[in-house]
Amino acid sequence: MSTFEDKVNGRGLFIDDVRLPDMQYVAFFRSEYARARVKHVKADFTSRDLQGIAAAAGEGSESDVRTPFREPILAGDVVSYVGQPIAAVVGRTKYEAEDKLSEVEVDYEPLEPLVDPEGAINSEPILPDAESNIIAENYLGKDFNVDASVVVEERLYIPRILTNPIETRGLVAHYDGNNLTVWISTQSVYSIKEAFSRSLSLDPDKIRVIQVDTGGAFGLKGGFYPEYAVVALISMRTGKPMKWIESRSEHIVASRPGRGAIGKIKLYADTRGKVLGLKGDIIVDAGAYDTGMGSFAASYIAYQLSGPYAIDRQYIHAVSVATNKAPLGPYRGAGRPEAAYFMERMMDQLAKRLAIDPIDVRLRNLSSSSFVSPTGLKIDPARPFFERALREMEYERYRGMKPGVSFFVLVPAASGGEGCKITVRDGLVHVWLGGSTHGQRHDLLVSKIVSSELGVDRGSIVYELSDSGELSKGIGAWGSRTAIVGGNAVIQACRKLKDEIVKEKGGYSPSMLTDLNKSVEVFADFRGSLNSFGANLATVQINELSQVDVLDVVCYYDVGRAINESVVREQIEGGTIQGIGQVLSEKLAYGKDGQVLTSSISDAGVLRSTDFRGRITVKIAEFPSDLPHGAKGVGESPTIGVPPAIVSAIENVSGVKILNTPIDPLSLTRRENE
Amino acid sequence: MELKFTLNGEKRQIDVEPRKLLIDVLRDDFGLTSVHSGCDTAMCGACTVLVDGKPVKSCNLLAMQVQDSEVQTLEGLSNEHRMKILKKSFLKNHGLQCGFCTSGMLISSFYLLKKGRESDDDEIREAIEGNICRCTGYVSIVKSIREADDILNKTSLEELEMKGEGR
Repeated sequence: MSTFEDKVNGRGLFIDDVRLPDMQYVAFFRSEYARARVKHVKADFTSRDLQGIAAAAGEGSESDVRTPFREPILAGDVVSYVGQPIAAVVGRTKYEAEDKLSEVEVDYEPLEPLVDPEGAINSEPILPDAESNIIAENYLGKDFNVDASVVVEERLYIPRILTNPIETRGLVAHYDGNNLTVWISTQSVYSIKEAFSRSLSLDPDKIRVIQVDTGGAFGLKGGFYPEYAVVALISMRTGKPMKWIESRSEHIVASRPGRGAIGKIKLYADTRGKVLGLKGDIIVDAGAYDTGMGSFAASYIAYQLSGPYAIDRQYIHAVSVATNKAPLGPYRGAGRPEAAYFMERMMDQLAKRLAIDPIDVRLRNLSSSSFVSPTGLKIDPARPFFERALREMEYERYRGMKPGVSFFVLVPAASGGEGCKITVRDGLVHVWLGGSTHGQRHDLLVSKIVSSELGVDRGSIVYELSDSGELSKGIGAWGSRTAIVGGNAVIQACRKLKDEIVKEKGGYSPSMLTDLNKSVEVFADFRGSLNSFGANLATVQINELSQVDVLDVVCYYDVGRAINESVVREQIEGGTIQGIGQVLSEKLAYGKDGQVLTSSISDAGVLRSTDFRGRITVKIAEFPSDLPHGAKGVGESPTIGVPPAIVSAIENVSGVKILNTPIDPLSLTRRENE
Repeated sequence: MELKFTLNGEKRQIDVEPRKLLIDVLRDDFGLTSVHSGCDTAMCGACTVLVDGKPVKSCNLLAMQVQDSEVQTLEGLSNEHRMKILKKSFLKNHGLQCGFCTSGMLISSFYLLKKGRESDDDEIREAIEGNICRCTGYVSIVKSIREADDILNKTSLEELEMKGEGR
């Protein structure tokens, strides 16, 4: 892999830097309609030439995708979202490939699209073989009747948000007549390898997936896409290496955005603010096809909806609905931020209704013992953590600023474990991890653990990017899991290596290790939950133009044990800005005809350096897990906790009730000071 | 068409298609991998280079527009004292996570530091306003530029040489 020194010298190897002899470029012709019958297509490669299904991969893909909702790699008789690939062309240069797009002929018969997920629930199915537009539907908890003095009911909404890493998707695929080798910008070479195998019906032993420097991902790059399969198939047809680099405009219409969730929530409470019951509907706008995340998201939100609160009665209807939009994917948090936003907003609404301090309402619903929710969410004693968080965040000091406060549970995707391989060669210790770094500094995680376990100096430890040809089994980097299960896998690999040396040589020393040429591989399984708490405090001011200035964001997150404190801090800072972006500006906008109205990365609302000039205060709580390194997750905590705290602060300062993000400054001009 | 320009200090002459963008000439014809394509619309700044000393987004410029101009990419600035200090500070303060926006960030901050007087945090934030970073939230980037700026403005060159930071 290129080092960080290489990167500041412009010598990284990102996917667009990969050039193979005789390599050609693929470009895609994409649907201009949200829904249409395709009557005629003429192009180099169409669905008649390249057939297949894009397999679900990455976070949320555990569940089997139901047949009618599987996405074809090229659209056949129907197109179901603007941007859906219909045909592919190949050129010797990027320019030539793009030129050839103008020669593609497509005749459409436009159909009426379904854009609103609530409306789509009872509408005619958008896909020919589907019985309805419901991709997945579940009822969590148990129905109940309760005698409550107060019922607070709201409809809350977070629109779709683009992941928008600065490096878009891209890959190079080369089939040599026998084996398929893929270089890719990714969060997991294993999810990609498995999906290639399933999509192309190829023997997994004939596929090697190699990660190159990955320029951000945020959920985008753990998934598998129709374009990937098409690029590989064209290489299989032609025998030539094929490259595809997504343009930003393709990213906007055809990559998979996250969020896109509606929560219709009802809290039943007594007059003191104790919540006696929780009911609700979670409606997820899954887009035209199920990519795994689509069917997974609604139930996942419902499962963790009650967050840190001990609510004994819960009954939640979770439904993922197909609409004529690009399929849903994970975006940093992937269900967790939606759940926390819905619950924290409701706690604030309950407090307002009862004219009780929102902190008191929260305290009233927190337990001093462990709690298992009716949906199965397991949490540690929450009350002592929250009380401590208020002190650590200096709530009293900020009180005059009308701060917003949020409290949440981070449910990491730790289950399943992770793989690690260590090869000692010529005095250097090379380490491969199952999850692929895309900015989280896995190199520092690995070098810290390996140096402390094996006693070798950090200069001789080489963190390698993922390669399915090196480490045979791994999972991936998403869901705040790598410090937990990746870290544990590195420890297990180090210990196995050490044990083997002790067995062979009767002892161990770092120099004995570096004198050897030796390799070990482990898969460190992990089952169970490692949920952790986090809290945020935010203050804002609203200027004369009704624009919100976020002044202070304070984060108090339990990370178990910080393996590298500055990296933890920087993960939190970066995620905090994404959280602020979600509240102030980020949105993927669609018209009623299903056309994508967002036209650029700026339009999508990604924050710039001048959009937030406030202060982020990070306080790290360390309540170690039972794993040898004590780690818990952190990567997604800020995108979970920051938005509800900021929205709450805006509501407190403006007096305007806020249910949806991003906030429209115009709505804040109505100051109904309560 | 024939394009004559100075690239990273060397006079260059190349036959280019009139429609070809500067970014593609730099990457494809000269192999300059520091120049990254992020948004294609001059919004993200990953492709920033210096044209006649000023930061320009190379994805939004036809190559022919730099006829007779001087173009500098990150590669060509590697011997500049200010750039060395900046890179060191970015590495130390983790001014990069995924590293994709980094070249553009470095060029925009280099341009800021070239003016040779101390900048406050607002000026730093404004100088990199045209460069989007999705990873760091800009906090560690501003810190990196701040520290480089402090070193450059509070320490004489001789002192830096003594500390080994000027090399």
